[in-house]
Amino acid sequence: MKRQGLTFYDLLTYAAVALALVVFLSPVLWMLITAVKPPDEWLTTPPILIPSELHWANFTDALVTWGGAKGLGDSLIVASLSTLLSLLLGVPAAYALGRFNTGGENLSFTVLSILFMPPVAVAIPMYLFWSSLGLLDSYTALILQYTVFNLPFISWVLKSFFEDISRDMEESALVNGATRWRAFWQIAVPLARPAMLAVGLLAFIFSWNEFFFALILTRANVTTLPFILPVLMEGHNVLWGDIAAIATLGALPVVILAFVLQKYLVRGLSFGTVHE
Amino acid sequence: MLAANSIFPLIYAVTVAFQSYQVLIPVPHRFIGLRNFEKIFSDDLFWSSLGVTAWFIAGVVLLQFPVGFGLAVLLQRLRRHQDLLVTLLLVPTIISTSVAGFQWVQLFNYQFGPINYLLGLLHLPQPTWTADPTLALPCLVFVDFWQWTPFMTLLLFAGLRSLPSTVVDAARIDGSTGWQLVWRIYLPLLRPVIGIAIILRVLMAFKLFDVIYVLTAGGPGIATENLAFYTYVQGFRYFDMGYAAALSILQLIAVAVLAKLLIRLTRRASAAMAKE
Repeated sequence: MKRQGLTFYDLLTYAAVALALVVFLSPVLWMLITAVKPPDEWLTTPPILIPSELHWANFTDALVTWGGAKGLGDSLIVASLSTLLSLLLGVPAAYALGRFNTGGENLSFTVLSILFMPPVAVAIPMYLFWSSLGLLDSYTALILQYTVFNLPFISWVLKSFFEDISRDMEESALVNGATRWRAFWQIAVPLARPAMLAVGLLAFIFSWNEFFFALILTRANVTTLPFILPVLMEGHNVLWGDIAAIATLGALPVVILAFVLQKYLVRGLSFGTVHE
Repeated sequence: MLAANSIFPLIYAVTVAFQSYQVLIPVPHRFIGLRNFEKIFSDDLFWSSLGVTAWFIAGVVLLQFPVGFGLAVLLQRLRRHQDLLVTLLLVPTIISTSVAGFQWVQLFNYQFGPINYLLGLLHLPQPTWTADPTLALPCLVFVDFWQWTPFMTLLLFAGLRSLPSTVVDAARIDGSTGWQLVWRIYLPLLRPVIGIAIILRVLMAFKLFDVIYVLTAGGPGIATENLAFYTYVQGFRYFDMGYAAALSILQLIAVAVLAKLLIRLTRRASAAMAKE
């Protein structure tokens, strides 16, 4: 097709995409603005779009007074450890499933059922399970619980990836006397790195954001960010700026990660639907 | 350990569902057969929560799919920055529901929210949004739309990008206009991907919980109590574990049927891609 400058339809396209960006990003922007407003500008009529000064004290209040620092730390511990553990278990599992067809056809069904199980439907037995082990309100419980949710997803996506990459290189390595384990570590794993980054990113985002099980399984000892936010929003004297600051801190890591790993995010999120 | 964690809840839920198990009443649990299940069908609150769930599912099919598809086609028309724009649009999907919920609490604020301020400028009525029994549910459906339409766009966009360019070019050379391209090429060729995207989102909408908890807690009254939230209320507010488990099993069956459908579509999609 010939390119002949901007057509009317091109302009329309730009306008529509711009409108979509405004709709989908303005709530985020409003939060960012509130996060740097001084207290007397939090609730005003008319609402203030541009704060008179950048009031960074909201962030120190959020971090120190309202448990934001502990929240960030806990979220980081839980999300990174469960992501790491899921990858550690999930990559070999996916390799086994993809290469030797362990589990066969039924696997994807089992995996999907776990993925889409309404959390509420398993909440009661899960609660009793962890409480019988005396692990309620512990890092261990939350990390393992998230690993349970991440693992099927990771092995499902990586399985199809391992099926797609050619066996030839591994087989020639095996013929040359390498063990299966070495073939896995030195050939399959490096080839799978982009896919591993993609699923690792998604596992991290999931664990960082998870709310329901944090609500059920933890109380005061482990307080991830998604868990403390709604608590702070209760009551009458809502400190909008401080909460906005915590919320911003809660959104920042995943958003930054998403932009850095853009390419992998897009590939990872469209998992299974399309082979590129 | 992991297997136990995923199988145990199921078995436990099934046994509890046939018992009269109310934590607050100190009577030994006893087997009551199907009575918990019979209760479901004569329970008005169950039917009303099913109605709320239907609203969210309708939102996915009637709003998120058309808008998401439209945006995907528009992004496809752009020549540059596609990945960047998709990632920007995805910010509502990536951030935690707690964070997103806070943003909408601010925006929906009756007295100081920017939405009501703008409505006031236009001399339009200023509703109480999530506190209004008739508006609360549409508000939540909209927040879900805001959070997940970008995800729909991403899936469909990835699908569009994987279409063989020869087909699209051939259609262009034959003189197809933009609309014809959408109706005659994109929609039919993308049918498997569209099916997957819609079922995936319907499954997620079916188990929706976080948004409701953060924004309305099921209220006002029971106006925004969906099936998942109602189960939570029965289990963790009234502590009627037997009944909550029966409700859970019903949801698990529904999800299993949908997941089965999803797998069939995925398989057909990859078969179709392999053929091309």
